[in-house]
Amino acid sequence: MKVELRFSTERVSEPIISSVILQEKAQINILRAQVSEDGGRVLLEVPDNQADEIIKAFRKLGAEVIVGKIIEIIEDKCIECGHCITLCPVNAIFFEKDYSIGLDEQKCIQCDSCLDACPTRAIKLYGE
Amino acid sequence: MEYLRHKNINVRKIHNKLQQKRNLQLENIRTIEEINEKIRKGDVNVVTAEEMVELVREKGSTIAAKDVDVVTTGTFGAMCSSGAFLNFGHSDPPIKMENLTLNGVNTYHGNAAVDCYLGVTKMHPEKPFEYGGGHVLEDLVSGKEIELEAAGYGTDCYPRKYLKTIITLQDLNQAILCNPRNAYQRYATATNGRDEIIYTYMGKLLPNFGNATFSGSGSLSPLSKDPNYETIGIGTRIFLGGSIGYVIGEGTQHSPTNKFGTIMVKGDLGKMRPEFLKGAAFTRYGTSLYVGLGIPIPILNEGLAKKTGVSDEDLKTNVLDYGIARRDRPVLKETNYAELKSGKIVIDNKEVSVTPLSSIKKAREIAKILKEWIEKTQFFLTAPVDRLPVDTIVKPMKVVSRIPFVNEIMENVVTCNLNDNIDVLAKKIIDNNVNHIAVIDDNDKLLGIITSFDITKAIATGKKGLEEIMTRNVITVYPEESVDICATKLEKYNISALPVVDRSNKLKGIITSEKISSLLGRIGLR
Ligand code: SF4
Ligand code: SF4
Repeated sequence: MKVELRFSTERVSEPIISSVILQEKAQINILRAQVSEDGGRVLLEVPDNQADEIIKAFRKLGAEVIVGKIIEIIEDKCIECGHCITLCPVNAIFFEKDYSIGLDEQKCIQCDSCLDACPTRAIKLYGE
Repeated sequence: MEYLRHKNINVRKIHNKLQQKRNLQLENIRTIEEINEKIRKGDVNVVTAEEMVELVREKGSTIAAKDVDVVTTGTFGAMCSSGAFLNFGHSDPPIKMENLTLNGVNTYHGNAAVDCYLGVTKMHPEKPFEYGGGHVLEDLVSGKEIELEAAGYGTDCYPRKYLKTIITLQDLNQAILCNPRNAYQRYATATNGRDEIIYTYMGKLLPNFGNATFSGSGSLSPLSKDPNYETIGIGTRIFLGGSIGYVIGEGTQHSPTNKFGTIMVKGDLGKMRPEFLKGAAFTRYGTSLYVGLGIPIPILNEGLAKKTGVSDEDLKTNVLDYGIARRDRPVLKETNYAELKSGKIVIDNKEVSVTPLSSIKKAREIAKILKEWIEKTQFFLTAPVDRLPVDTIVKPMKVVSRIPFVNEIMENVVTCNLNDNIDVLAKKIIDNNVNHIAVIDDNDKLLGIITSFDITKAIATGKKGLEEIMTRNVITVYPEESVDICATKLEKYNISALPVVDRSNKLKGIITSEKISSLLGRIGLR
């Protein structure tokens, strides 16, 4: 599953992720990382069966952990044109058989590519 | 000889038979009045265009023509040539509105005192590419309050000079959606051959044919189901924005001779529904309006059964490279709507993800709703009072001062090879009095560019190899692009020259910023 970490500027230089990987012996995949003046934000893919332990470990080390919504397509805005499908590098968005828009939220890596392409601005990323 | 004569007779026989069949197909088997009578009685047979395709495929056009009275079509796409005439009534004291904005969006008011036309592509000056005329129309139809601000110069009869108020759709005398060009018969598929993302009215197009978009609903598309406008004409009653509308003539740029017909339509905004009129924003292109439109096609003869039965496979369209911003964009290949709806097309041996920019689901819904309206005696067909033109063409704009293209103004470029040394380059720069040297391989393909400043820097820092000092990711232009594109690129990337390359990256010449400035200065664009 996907979790987002946020940490303050002081903690950016600490090896939080490596510590947790070693401590929990977990395979953690870094999908997106961003460091700015307001601190660091990292999107991680963690194994489902170890998720609880991993989240606890991160919190212990002072990182804020956000679990839950990654992306949403706002239903009454979306006109189901499908343009976002062609922009998604990980096939998180797709057409159902009847041309409705399907979304596999867990696949989304929050790359932003679809956001400015949506003609009705129906896509919302969380944690922005 | 005997054999030939025999053959000739056979050919003639077949020809006659074909002719007879054609005449039969054109022979009307029912009239619009008869269809309306059936609607009234509740025993009309209506199918959607998609159902008709199946029916004709299974049972043939003769049986389909006998069985079906009406075929309903639908489309839901961004239609930039849309807008509304609005009348607000008079204030007291009255004002002749000179500058009028609705939610901050400028309207056109070169009509009488309190009339205006709100175009869907007009953008809010502070929210460009996010909010525009199309959104104001959607907000109006949704029943939202709209801020109206107007200024006038004050006349003896209209003394008021300023006005600010809040209105809703209910408060207007007339709100008439009037779209000069809707429902293109067919439209091209867009992709991008450039090496950068482009933002177009066909959406966000990724570099190197990274994705593609198309418009139109294929076999559901209204005008492609009556391609000779036999039943669609002035006065045809249609589905427009969730309510009833009318075709009021041919659309602007109507081009029947090459099957790019369009229609002009109108309808009462007050009765429309926001699900079928949606404001749209295309990043770095502008705003627009998604319009839901559906046309019922009466099956008056077998010919019309055949035409409404045309499938996605049979509806062809070209894939164009929108990376080349010219009036005639290069055609990359032909495709059809079946392939497009499959989600993948092959361009340049590469599988490319393609989706519509219009909504197929909504188009289907519209054809279905129209079918229900007819079945439930809520919608009657009209015979056109006049036909749309069938023999006109679209002319390009007449331009008296023309802007040159890259291949007309590019200059020769001084080149070198990767293994040349810096002294040679320095000499080339002095001898030719240039600032840029292009690095090419044995096949003239562009590898990089070196400026006189790069050379100075290299000497100062003791660097020797050209690999170390040249710029590799060179911004280039194609010979067939226009000078405006050069100016935009020079400015956007803050560079002083653009090598000109062909599609295979072969070096053709160079365009420098000095050349562009002097040229644009002369044309008076700067
Ligand atoms: S943000 Fe990126 S990964 Fe997520 S749905 Fe959009 S395009 Fe796909
Ligand atoms: S681009 Fe926007 S409107 Fe179109 S399908 Fe995707 S989310 Fe919906």
